[in-house]
Amino acid sequence: MGRREKPHETIGNMSNFSVGFRAEAHIRILDLKGELDAHTVSELEAALQKCREDKNHHIIVNGAHLQYISSAGLGVFMAYIEEMREAGGDIKIAGLQANVYNIFDLLGFPLLFDIVKAEEEAIRKFDADRKDKNDS
Amino acid sequence: MKGALSPGIPPVANHFANRILQSGPGYIDTVLRNRGQRVACIVAALICFFLSVAFNGFEWLSGTPWHAAVNFSYQLVVIAGFVLAWFLLSYYLKQRPIGPLKTLWTTLLLALVAAAVIRLMVGITAAENVEGNPAVLGFEYDTGVPLTFATVVKMHVITSLRALLAFYLLLRFQDLVLFKRTKQSQRNWYLMLVFMGIASLLTILRDPAEDPGIVQGVAFTLVLILMLLNAFRVSWIVFLSFRAKAAGVGFSILLILLLFASLSPGGILPAHFMYIRHASYPLDQFTLAALAFGLLYCVTSFLFLIFHLPTTGDFRRKAGEITAMYSLTNLVNQAFDPDKLHLTITKTPVDTGTAQMSWLAIADERSGSLRPQVVAAWKTTTEDVETMVDVAALYEELATRREPVILDEAPADRRIRGKPGDPIGTMLMTPLITRDKLLGGLFVAKDVVQGFEQDDVESISVYAAQAAIALDNARLFEEQLERERLSRELDIAREVQQRLLPHDLPEMQGLAVAASSIPAYEVGGDYYDFLKLDEARLAFIIADVSGKGTSAAFYMAELQGIFRSTTRMAPSPADFLEQANLALSSALERHVFVSVIYGVIDVRKGELTLARAGHCPAILISREGTGRLIRPQGLGLGLDRGRRFRDVLEEEHIPLQPGDIITVYTDGVVESRNNQGTEYGYERLLEALKTHRKKEASALHEALLSDLHDYLGRTEYDDDMTLVVLKWDGAKNHTKRSAT
Repeated sequence: MGRREKPHETIGNMSNFSVGFRAEAHIRILDLKGELDAHTVSELEAALQKCREDKNHHIIVNGAHLQYISSAGLGVFMAYIEEMREAGGDIKIAGLQANVYNIFDLLGFPLLFDIVKAEEEAIRKFDADRKDKNDS
Repeated sequence: MKGALSPGIPPVANHFANRILQSGPGYIDTVLRNRGQRVACIVAALICFFLSVAFNGFEWLSGTPWHAAVNFSYQLVVIAGFVLAWFLLSYYLKQRPIGPLKTLWTTLLLALVAAAVIRLMVGITAAENVEGNPAVLGFEYDTGVPLTFATVVKMHVITSLRALLAFYLLLRFQDLVLFKRTKQSQRNWYLMLVFMGIASLLTILRDPAEDPGIVQGVAFTLVLILMLLNAFRVSWIVFLSFRAKAAGVGFSILLILLLFASLSPGGILPAHFMYIRHASYPLDQFTLAALAFGLLYCVTSFLFLIFHLPTTGDFRRKAGEITAMYSLTNLVNQAFDPDKLHLTITKTPVDTGTAQMSWLAIADERSGSLRPQVVAAWKTTTEDVETMVDVAALYEELATRREPVILDEAPADRRIRGKPGDPIGTMLMTPLITRDKLLGGLFVAKDVVQGFEQDDVESISVYAAQAAIALDNARLFEEQLERERLSRELDIAREVQQRLLPHDLPEMQGLAVAASSIPAYEVGGDYYDFLKLDEARLAFIIADVSGKGTSAAFYMAELQGIFRSTTRMAPSPADFLEQANLALSSALERHVFVSVIYGVIDVRKGELTLARAGHCPAILISREGTGRLIRPQGLGLGLDRGRRFRDVLEEEHIPLQPGDIITVYTDGVVESRNNQGTEYGYERLLEALKTHRKKEASALHEALLSDLHDYLGRTEYDDDMTLVVLKWDGAKNHTKRSAT
């Protein structure tokens, strides 16, 4: 899985937005960088599509370097969340900057998504979920 | 040509040859193109011919040889006549160019006719031979004077026939030797002709019985070298079909036999040399050299034809590939249907015979997937390809190496899941790269192992480069179409949006309203509207559909319908939003949602009831200048399609003070950025509202917009900007109302 970190795996060199792939155990981590709007949203879509094709349903979106998100960008999360959850996974959002978090918050995303401060927290939550499942 | 006839040493000859190249033959052709001059030449040549016949005739009549000076003039006349004949023949043959095969058989035919005629004539002489001395052949032994008039006629007919054959052969073979000519090959050819001429002329006053001098020896050696050089110019052979080559082999072998038999002293034309030598020794030498060259050239042609016979198929195949590639470059200009183009790109390597099956894989981030897709397959199916090979793994190697990769032993490769008997033995994969971008990979396969040679790799690489350009062009074209389509769509969306927005603002006692929505270049889905519920209550809505363009405009229209129809029936803002969510959820695409603020102002009670579905908070500014954001909890419409929406939805009831200003807006306002990239933001909006709070609603609205413009420093916006201002002046109106 380590080979996924090769530079050519980063897509979206044309715009000021990019998605980087990382893996942590069974969890796929997407590092978002720049501004996610109607013009750049297809790159995040492609990334999530790839996760889906690879049957990776445990996804953490790290937004530490995300500067802006538009409603179109938020829509992508809506498009995938249901499917990921039905497959037993989740999309957790971590490390958002204050202004970006505010946009998520206005729409009520924290009520629907697991939005946490740090990536580690999200990983812990995934691990805990798995434990619960195994216990039950 | 005159200059060229004078003897010279090789470097000088080279110089002459170049001069001839530049002007000589061209000049003579221009002379002969004129009909009158052509006829004059023919007449002159005939005069020369008859003069020489007359010369020998007088010799026969007088029985004594001419004086040496007269003999020399005779030689000049004969040569002049044949030089003229050469150029005339050259002119006529140039008018009717023929192919290599026809050259061979017409020469063969002419040689046959000449040999037959000469054979007949030489045969007749046998009777006139002096008893016991057959070598004399009707010429006086010592002086060479013809003994009969028949001898005179024969010597000239035989000479003319052989000169005609020699000239025809040289002039026709010239086109073969100079096939795909270069400056150098052309020079070698003309040099050979010039040296043949010079070497022959050197014999003009010499008796055939004398030893050839050293100069003549050198000249003929040079001629021989040049003959050898020219004899290997046989590139016309490779372009012949198999049948033409086979026929060429036959013709050349017959020509070799005939020429050899005619030229060898003990052959089928014994002693005919004597007649020609007596007529003109230089001409004899020249025609002999010419026919010797013909013989040599036929030998090399024969050998090359034989050697090239087995490779004809390969050559044809290569030529076929080149033609196919050419047809692809044509296709680039037509096929803007991606599927058709994909198939054509895939088919060609198989149709040209380079491979037995092929497929094309494309990984395109625009299609929403980074996984390579097999978009076309030929002599196999996309499904079969997916089962036979690990497309993703192969594509990954291609993406890393970015150059053609051959899998010589495909069955041994772990990425090829073929079982024994599967049709993949060798696979060649070639990246399609243009403008440094990897667009896809072309995979071709054969059922045998090690089935591709280096030249296959090269031709496929060249082909792949072409195909990549074709693909790229098709994409650019598609993008251009998409842009145009989008631009038309945007025009429609803009029009729809403007029609959906209210034309007239509501008039309520005690309430002043100002509203505007400025569409961005790419129309968003901003919407605002008002509806009087009764004399005292006004419902207002502001909404922002996520996304842009026609789909946003479509959802906006839907929302308008819901607003206009449901508002009167909804007892409270929260009820309205719940119903709107239910109604819209079934229609909205999964990734689309709508943020809304819905409020009701009761102008009599002075109360605002408001619910928010994920929208930017409303702002309330009092006359005293205190401001607050009204932000009850609520999810955007479409985010949750079940109970949760209702569960989390809150409603706020706010008693209004006279002079209170309620402002609602879309994110286009607060998220607009100036050239430094800083957002206008809530703080600045609040400040502006406080500054202008004393103004009338419309003046305040205007002041806010101009503040925004000043801040942004431009008049084009990234997003729609909608701003609605409601100012309640209840107290004043109340008194008014009670007064009336």
